Amino acid sequence: MSRTMPHTVRVFLAAARRDILITTRYADFVVSMLVWPVLMPSLTVFAAKALAGPDGSGLSAFAERTGTTDYVGFVFAGMVLWMWLNMVLWSVGGELRAEQRRGTLESNWMTPAPRLAMLLGSGLNQMIVSIVPVIASLAVCSIAWGVRFAVTPLVGLVFLVSTMAMFGMALAFASLVLFLKELNAAVFFLRGVFMVFCGLTSPLSVLPPWMRTVSKALPLTYSIDLVRRLGLAGASYADVSRDFWILTAFAAGLLIAGCLAFLFVDRAVKRSGTLGQY
Amino acid sequence: MVSKFGINGFGAWLRRQFRVIGAIAWKDLRIFLRYPANALMSVVEPIMWLAPAYFMGQGFSVNGQAIGFAGFAGTSDYFSFVMMGMFMSSYISTAFWGTGFSVQEDMTLGVLEPNWVTPASRVSLVIGRSVITLLLTTLNSIGVLIVGAALFGVNLTGNVLAAVITMLPMLIALTGLGLGIAGVVLSVRRAGAAIDISNWVVSQLSGTTFPVSVLPRPLLAVALALPTTYGFDAVRSILLGTKTMLPLKVEIGIMLASTAGMCVAGYAVFKTFERRCRRQGLLGTH
Repeated sequence: MSRTMPHTVRVFLAAARRDILITTRYADFVVSMLVWPVLMPSLTVFAAKALAGPDGSGLSAFAERTGTTDYVGFVFAGMVLWMWLNMVLWSVGGELRAEQRRGTLESNWMTPAPRLAMLLGSGLNQMIVSIVPVIASLAVCSIAWGVRFAVTPLVGLVFLVSTMAMFGMALAFASLVLFLKELNAAVFFLRGVFMVFCGLTSPLSVLPPWMRTVSKALPLTYSIDLVRRLGLAGASYADVSRDFWILTAFAAGLLIAGCLAFLFVDRAVKRSGTLGQY
Repeated sequence: MVSKFGINGFGAWLRRQFRVIGAIAWKDLRIFLRYPANALMSVVEPIMWLAPAYFMGQGFSVNGQAIGFAGFAGTSDYFSFVMMGMFMSSYISTAFWGTGFSVQEDMTLGVLEPNWVTPASRVSLVIGRSVITLLLTTLNSIGVLIVGAALFGVNLTGNVLAAVITMLPMLIALTGLGLGIAGVVLSVRRAGAAIDISNWVVSQLSGTTFPVSVLPRPLLAVALALPTTYGFDAVRSILLGTKTMLPLKVEIGIMLASTAGMCVAGYAVFKTFERRCRRQGLLGTH
């Protein structure tokens, strides 16, 4: 036990360092980190601006449904969190797929190094990398569009808990990659589900009732709603406590489920001998 | 070409190019069908991108009509506007990813050099990739249109045949663009991020989800410099009855002129970078 923990931490840090080196070796990562968080929400805001109309005649309908005329902040909150989810989903599972293609997965996994530590180390790299786009996006929203997000400790806590929930899902995806050998379709499908049901760019009230029911079962719905209420509308802890604890429960559950799924699949793949299959 | 080889020689040369294009197209079709989940997602994913647009439109609508939007676009049917934009922007993706990025895919798989040392024309090798992706894109887009119409409702009141004919010059121009991008990718060798961003920016600034008139002036100038903007505008005008930025004939004339320009420029860019890479021995590097 006394040797296992430092060993695990060393593996974790080695995997993180490796991935940070790979990420920074190709300069195009800067483009992804800085350009997408600016472009995607901004160009979506133009669509909302078109819908509001040159005379603002569409804006009153929006305000009635959302309680705000600030469609810029509304859209930015949804898009930023969705992009963050997207990055996290690709990170862990995508790393495994990349190792399969590079041909290093089997050789790494034959070592005594704990596999979960290797995976979590890759995840740390992605966490660091994905914070930068969030900051860039919020900065653009504030400077270019004049929207003020209240960045309070509670908002930071919501981001942290949301990250834990997303990471749990990403771990489950890493497990799927070991079985399916192909990640793209699964990630596209899941991020599509979140895009459709979580109210990225629209109030949940415009969704049909069955879709609103599905929305309530997705953690990102709570993340987006909490950030909008806390960051834009100035809500207090008392106003959002129920939804905050629902999100926390999601995070805990998904993290545990993700780890268990990974360990189960790891054992199954070893038994079937399909780990190195491409 | 004809004077150099004679009519028979030109005919033989043309047949060789079609054989190469056909072989590459057949290979790509088989690869596409080998991953059925990805094939299915190529229809499902666009629907997932369309759904938020539909609901965003509903968020601003009164009795299902985007009355504010009509002030910019000349139609309150926001979803049909976006549906047509997505249909046409799928061809922009074909140019960037299907044609332009194909070179990087071949590099990654290690087949670029073996293919390129054959006597087959390299332009035909790249065009072959674009043929099948154009076909698959068309089939996908029609599928998405049918599903989108069933789920959300699409109202096309215009002449579909006229719209298709109007779109053809844009497709040819985009093939030329894809050829040029392939040349750049050959030199840069790792261009995924740049292609991803360029593809999305060109699509959006062409007016996929909003009329370009909402853009601030600097971005509007960029949008008006894109030939695809006029393609989108003209096709929407024919199918949805929206107002065009310029007279329809002028927009069609701009597209025809840009078709010739983009094909010539794309070919020149591709050959330039291909020569450079061969001289520097970069073809096999990863």
